[in-house]
Amino acid sequence: MTGQLFLNINPSSIFDAASPQAARIRHLTIEFIIAASAILILVVILTSFISIKYRSKRQQEDPKQITGNRTLEMWMVGVPLALVILFFFRSLATMNAVLPDRGNHSPDIIITGHQWFWEAVYPGTTITTANEIHLPVGKRILMQLNAADVIHDWWVPALGGKMDMIPGMNNYLWVTIDRPGIYEGACSEFCGQQHAWMRIRVVAESPGDYTLWLRREAAGAHVPQDTLARAGAVLFLESTCSSCHRVKGTAAAGLTGPDLTHFGSRQTMLTGMMANDSVNLGRWLTDPQQVKPGAHMPRFIFAKDSIRALTAYLEQLK
Amino acid sequence: MENKLMIKLVVGTEAMFFLALIMAYVYFSLLPGFSPQQADHLDIRSTAIFSAFLFSSSFTFWRAEMNFKQGKMTRLKGWLLLTLVLGLVFLFGQGNEYARLLRENVSISSSLFGTSFFTLTGFHGLHVFAGLVVISIITALTFMGDYDRSTSSVFGTVGIYWHFVDIVWLFVFLIVYILPHFHKITG
Amino acid sequence: MDTILVPEPEESLPSLSVSNDQGILQWISSVDHKQIGIMYLWLSVLFLVVAGIEILLVRLQLAIPNNHFLAPEVYNQLFTMHGTTMIFFVAMPAIFGFTTYFVPLMIGANDMAFPRLNAFSFWTTFFGGSLLYFSFIAGGAPDAGWFNYAPLNEYNYSSSPGIDYYCAGLLFAGIGTVTASINFVVTILHYRVPAMSLKQMPLFVWMILINSFLILAAFPSLNAALAMLLLDRQLHAHFFSAAGGGSAILWQHLFWLFGHPEVYIVILPIFGIFSEVFPVFSRKPIFGYSMVIGSGIAIALLAFGVWVHHMFATGLGNTVNGFFAASSLLIGIPTGVKIFNWLATMHGGAIRFSVSMLFAIAFLIEFTIGGLSGISFAIVPIDWQLTDTYYVVAHLHFVFIGGTLFGLLSGLFYWFPKMSGRAPDQRLSRWFFWLFVTGFNITFLVQHALGAMGMPRRVYTYPNLPGWGVLNLISTIGAFLMAGAVGLLVYILVRALNKGAIAASDPWDANTLEWTTTSPPGLKNFDRVIPVKSTRPFRDYKRPEDADWKRQEVAYTEKPPDIDITQNNSHGE
Ligand code: HEA
Ligand code: HEA
Ligand code: HEC
Ligand code: CUA
Ligand SMILES: [Cu+2]
Repeated sequence: MTGQLFLNINPSSIFDAASPQAARIRHLTIEFIIAASAILILVVILTSFISIKYRSKRQQEDPKQITGNRTLEMWMVGVPLALVILFFFRSLATMNAVLPDRGNHSPDIIITGHQWFWEAVYPGTTITTANEIHLPVGKRILMQLNAADVIHDWWVPALGGKMDMIPGMNNYLWVTIDRPGIYEGACSEFCGQQHAWMRIRVVAESPGDYTLWLRREAAGAHVPQDTLARAGAVLFLESTCSSCHRVKGTAAAGLTGPDLTHFGSRQTMLTGMMANDSVNLGRWLTDPQQVKPGAHMPRFIFAKDSIRALTAYLEQLK
Repeated sequence: MENKLMIKLVVGTEAMFFLALIMAYVYFSLLPGFSPQQADHLDIRSTAIFSAFLFSSSFTFWRAEMNFKQGKMTRLKGWLLLTLVLGLVFLFGQGNEYARLLRENVSISSSLFGTSFFTLTGFHGLHVFAGLVVISIITALTFMGDYDRSTSSVFGTVGIYWHFVDIVWLFVFLIVYILPHFHKITG
Repeated sequence: MDTILVPEPEESLPSLSVSNDQGILQWISSVDHKQIGIMYLWLSVLFLVVAGIEILLVRLQLAIPNNHFLAPEVYNQLFTMHGTTMIFFVAMPAIFGFTTYFVPLMIGANDMAFPRLNAFSFWTTFFGGSLLYFSFIAGGAPDAGWFNYAPLNEYNYSSSPGIDYYCAGLLFAGIGTVTASINFVVTILHYRVPAMSLKQMPLFVWMILINSFLILAAFPSLNAALAMLLLDRQLHAHFFSAAGGGSAILWQHLFWLFGHPEVYIVILPIFGIFSEVFPVFSRKPIFGYSMVIGSGIAIALLAFGVWVHHMFATGLGNTVNGFFAASSLLIGIPTGVKIFNWLATMHGGAIRFSVSMLFAIAFLIEFTIGGLSGISFAIVPIDWQLTDTYYVVAHLHFVFIGGTLFGLLSGLFYWFPKMSGRAPDQRLSRWFFWLFVTGFNITFLVQHALGAMGMPRRVYTYPNLPGWGVLNLISTIGAFLMAGAVGLLVYILVRALNKGAIAASDPWDANTLEWTTTSPPGLKNFDRVIPVKSTRPFRDYKRPEDADWKRQEVAYTEKPPDIDITQNNSHGE
């Protein structure tokens, strides 16, 4: 099940930079690795060399009793100090390049961390979506990061550093994505039971594709066609799903769960936990606590065909 | 000697504790919506009066110490009792203030101000209380004649603690009561 | 020979009135610093096994992707308890055990300044630990991580009583820690044999002195934060909940204002232990005695100016971050000084590879790895990428295990003969060393890579991304090797206690006063103390013709001719 799921994903280590921000950090990281390796090698060589050369030979006189040496001690302070100063200035420059002051720039996207899903709002549009976050390529984007309950943290390694989402605070992050693709990330501040399944997918699209997506997303929900799905839509409103979930264009306007308006067009569900297909959806609706223990969605006692109806409905919400 | 050093270390670490509480208080007081509410509920005048009692108890304890060093046991007892009374008056005053605030629905859970006010002054009150317990014990021992030889370091030791508790209150009083008052007048 | 007055507490030692045949009761009622020290050490071993088993379960869960061995809430309790226990009830008690045992012996005193306070400190720590573990029975252990961030630690998000037990347990342990430190300071400043000046104190004692001040300054911040959290949880105060107007970030400031000094609190005494071990097994005096002290003080001072480096990703702004980056980078320098001091101590020596020395040598390399990854976080942009990933987990274990634990083990093998009068089996001990070091590197080296590949820490399971499964499996295998090693260690210790060879009173040809007594020392440590005229009084005593103080007198009159070492070392730089 999961094997299939991640095939189309870009590798996402901190060295696979796909944004100038991440690239700058990578540059600094590599510089650091070189310097650190030099120091480590020095220490390893000194340690082994001294250990071997000065190992005790039996019946030996006490060696010469040396208690110190000023010159050497100066070197011990001087060389590390020089290195450290160098890296201090390198990191200041990188910090200012990666995370410059926001000025009066207003955010292009507002992402809110919830236990355990991401809500994304696109200012200037009517779009609210969840979990799979679409962003355009080549544009310098200012993200505003918030939290609804506890602290979460936004991290997509290929796109640059992380930023905490703290209740009661607005944090900001700049990102410019180089090339289209799907970028994996994860919530990086421990946020309770399902912190593990609070993964991030950023879908980066060319400006054209992105505009198309915006247009599709701004539209209301797909109106169910067949009877099964229509039954599902009714069930959705009746069984209080609507008190937590929003499906734009219907009476469902809940805000405590992920927006489901275009749920059917997401590849994954439950923040990257599994592929979005009818089997998984059925399992989820049968017993959320079985699938994602602790998730803030109650268990409803549904008959088999209710589940089938709900599944059909949700899958059509493209 | 050891006892003195010990109590100095205790006072040092307690000072850090209060520093943390005071920093939390100051941090919160800078958040919007804090100061006006605060100034409204506190009664500086009555607090100033019972603070004066606490401050003078430092003086009386110092007198007690002096008399102890000179071996004047009767005076020592008098100054100790006076210290106890002054300390008790302070606690009584604080209790009164708490009661009034609670009547006005300012409690530890009512607002940010309540939270930080009761915590800071409450911990201070606890320290005063602990000091009074210790002073009562040494007073009792004095009356029982335990300190008739004037070699004990106990008065010096307790004294350091007691003065410390007073100094903490000086800061608390300044920060919680007086500074926001100025703020209110000027702004 | 001059005999020197042995300092002991003014009142008669209560311990001397307790006869030795009362079994367990005698231990419980003891106020003798050596018995209390040993109880601290056993407490530490006990908790090491407990916290180790907790993390073995965690490693089992992480062995393969999408595993269902542990439920998430169990997982969270396990790693929280693992971290909390390891820091507060393994590292701290072990350090305090060695301290209460050896500080009086090393300064030629017969007991701590306040023997009963000493017992009080131990039992409060013990009680704190018990309280923390009682939470498992009382409805759930704490589950918000060892640094327990707000608002996850608030009642709304963690309603089981675990976090209340966390607060109460750590408060008790904290009180025990603070009182113990006060005791150490007073003992060190007032109970040295009169001849021992501050500049002649063994470096272990120096580090404990510095460390005690660090504790006195750092713990109140934790205690205040815990008290506030309890008020939040029990009386609905609003310190840390944004909903009530409070501030989640305040918890972080208070916690790390304690938490960062805390990590140095568990490393400074270790530096002290190594500063005893290196000279003894190299048969040379420590290189740069005053520099080791000076850098210890520098570390202690800087430790209070770096706490925000745990919060680089909280959005405090580049100015604030830059300031704390500078201080964090600087703290690497005094630490590096020590590493090079120890290397220079070995240089030109006659090195004996006892197990104790093996751990010391391994430490040089492992700790440098851990320290350098620490430096990488101090470079803020790198931290932005790597904070809260397995790279942090790797860092903290390289400094905790490669630093603290190696130091404790080095100290254990160094002092075990003194404490027990018996020698542990050499061959098995070497096996233990190699097994432990190998397991350790297997477990944690790969975690650097995992972090860089994007694996966050504290996840109860993870998707099957390329490489993640393999690396985690390797890490789990390493953990089990370590477990085997720890099991072996317990076996070695128990066996040595029962039928180990009888140890001499000075098996290592050591330098300091604790080796002048019998092994184990009698209930009263010393009747008389040898003269102290340098940092190595016992060596002076054993080699009067080559005594340090004589050489020092020469050094004042003529220039030291030791040039060759400079040349040897400076082209290595
Ligand atoms: C014994 C404990 C210990 C020690 C000694 C250290 C030592 C250091 N630590 Fe570490 N640290 C922890 C325990 C420790 N740490 C723990 C437990 C955490 C995680 C907490 C948590 O989140 O759970 C942590 C996390 C942590 C962070 C936050 C990471 C994050 O969460 O994002 C940072 C950031 O700056 C940091 C920095 C450092 C630095 C700069 C040092 C320096 O002191 C290191 C100095 C040593 C050297 C540098 C090596 C030797 C020097 C030389 C050979 C000389 C040459 C060197 C240079 C030129 C630089 N540490
Ligand atoms: C001194 C500190 C210390 C020590 C020694 C250790 C030791 C170990 N740690 Fe620990 N660890 C921390 C401090 C420490 N840790 C901290 C602070 C955290 C952060 C917690 C948090 O995020 O909140 C952490 C987190 C942490 C994690 C991350 C969990 C997560 O983020 O989800 C992992 C994962 O691999 C781990 C692994 C290990 C392992 C394998 C050991 C091994 O070295 C353990 C070896 C010991 C044993 C395995 C015991 C063996 C005993 C037996 C087998 C019994 C034998 C019985 C008899 C003979 C009777 N630790
Ligand atoms: C009490 C609030 C609540 C109710 C009622 C509720 N949900 Fe949810 N739902 C949630 C939350 C919270 C999540 C996010 C869970 C997570 O990923 O941790 C969620 C997730 C989902 C998801 C997956 C969304 C995604 O993007 O991965 C679907 C589908 C869903 N719910 C459908 C339903 C249906 C159908 C009902 C009614 C039968 C329902 N929900 C009732 C709160 C609720
Ligand atoms: Cu959200 Cu971790
Ligand atoms: Cu730190």
